[in-house]
Amino acid sequence: MKSVFIIEDDISVREELFILLNNAGYNTKVLTTFDNVVQDILDFKPDLVLLDINIPGLNGEVVLLNLRKRSDVPVIMVTSRNTESDEVLSMSYGADDYITKPYNPNVLLLRIGAVLKRTSTSNLPNYRDLDINMQKGIISNGKDEIILTKNEMIIFNYLLINQSRIVSRDELMTELWDNDEYINDNALSVNISRLRNKLKEIGIENPIETRKGIGYILT
Amino acid sequence: MKFKEHLKDRLYALLLISFLYLLLILLFLAFKSNLQLIIACFVLLTITFILLLLYDFFRKRKFYNDLIFKVGNLDKAYLVLEMIDKPRFYEGELFCQILYDIDKSMIERVSNFEGQMNDFKEFIEMWIHEVKIPLSSLTLMAHNHKDKYDKKSLLQMKRIENYVEQVLYYVRQDCAESDYLINKINLSKVISNVILKNKDELLENKIELLVEVKEKEVFSDSKWLEFIINQIFNNCIKYKKEKNSFIKIQSLEDENSVYLIIEDNGIGIKKSDLSRVFDKSFTGSNGRYSSRSTGMGLYICKNLCKKLGHKIEIDSIQDEFTRVRITFSKNNFYEEALNVTKK
Repeated sequence: MKSVFIIEDDISVREELFILLNNAGYNTKVLTTFDNVVQDILDFKPDLVLLDINIPGLNGEVVLLNLRKRSDVPVIMVTSRNTESDEVLSMSYGADDYITKPYNPNVLLLRIGAVLKRTSTSNLPNYRDLDINMQKGIISNGKDEIILTKNEMIIFNYLLINQSRIVSRDELMTELWDNDEYINDNALSVNISRLRNKLKEIGIENPIETRKGIGYILT
Repeated sequence: MKFKEHLKDRLYALLLISFLYLLLILLFLAFKSNLQLIIACFVLLTITFILLLLYDFFRKRKFYNDLIFKVGNLDKAYLVLEMIDKPRFYEGELFCQILYDIDKSMIERVSNFEGQMNDFKEFIEMWIHEVKIPLSSLTLMAHNHKDKYDKKSLLQMKRIENYVEQVLYYVRQDCAESDYLINKINLSKVISNVILKNKDELLENKIELLVEVKEKEVFSDSKWLEFIINQIFNNCIKYKKEKNSFIKIQSLEDENSVYLIIEDNGIGIKKSDLSRVFDKSFTGSNGRYSSRSTGMGLYICKNLCKKLGHKIEIDSIQDEFTRVRITFSKNNFYEEALNVTKK
């Protein structure tokens, strides 16, 4: 399980971020006192840090600079300042991404996922001993193979990465749209049922379970 | 300065002189003076008077004409005092001193307002950053507790967010250059951000998206451009038709420019309103129908575009389509400048 360290001074935002990230299957830790931020981060050894730029009595950019002297942990800067120069400055200090408030929660999850994917060396999780070729969109069970369309591949990939939890339709939609596939609700349903049928062809029964009103889970 | 007017102004002197002449004639007659002496006296007097009048006129005319000319030609007329030669007559000196005092008090007052304005702008910017925190918090809450909040409240939050952004960019549009940074940015990335931002509303309203934007690179500020495109998108959604709505986004290119075209099949804009949609506070008939138009969105867009050096145009046929075109010039100057700094 990946861990995320949240540095955010607004209590309400902090609590909701904690719930959001926990629900998304991250081991989440929030910081409540900001006297020794860099040391706290180093002690916890998170996979990713969400760092607010404006913390009273503390400058997020300075924290980032100090952190970078001692660690390469991925950092996403979160801020309500949204000028281009702020962003460029943060990135030059070594941030991996930059998100402005108020953010769409699904987009935030997406960015966190993207940074983790970029920085981690581990391969894709395994799924029922299938041979998965993401680039070509081919899945094979050794004997037979199926060819997925781009949309189906995006959906399958996202479900696979988040295998341990239920993924909402909204999340899937965000992921698809982020990949410039602007499909509508019906098309998503069609894609999912097609993906199910294709997986069935290579002998996988009930790969994607529907949880009514919540979303889907890869089983 | 006209001589006639100058003379008119000195009518009292002429009357006095005429009266003096009359008295002199009476005096001369009483003393039975020589006629030649009388004529000589009159000629001398007359010449003296005329010279006095002319001297006074030309001296003042030099000063006033200079003043009038410079006031007319300076773009900041109140700075004229620094530009003129000091007058060499008492009245003019007084006049200049008074002007100077007036200027001073005016400048004090203006700088006072300027200070207040800047304070206000600073406060607004700070306030906007503050208000974004509860907004983030609310958005997260709505996402985490779907049982307590429904999609409708999310859409309302998005509306607040949009209005807040409008204020932010309105405050920013005419202040310091430090607020924007022109860089090579990827057009399709910006478009994708805007689309993702409006995802819920687009899905809710069943608006189809036709995106044909290639990986075009343009020189702009990505945040400002995102705001501009977001405003256009908001309009597309706001003024859509009931059924089969779509938004088409295209990028085109020619030798000198890259064009971004955003077209919808919404209710369109009346021909008579078309030329005024970028005017401040112009709401037109569309705005009045739906009563949710502030008339600021496109005005701010136009100003930001002007600052960034883009051209924004709008074309529409009522009940058929609205098409917005943003032109980015392929100015090699930026590219060269970037290369130089890299080296």
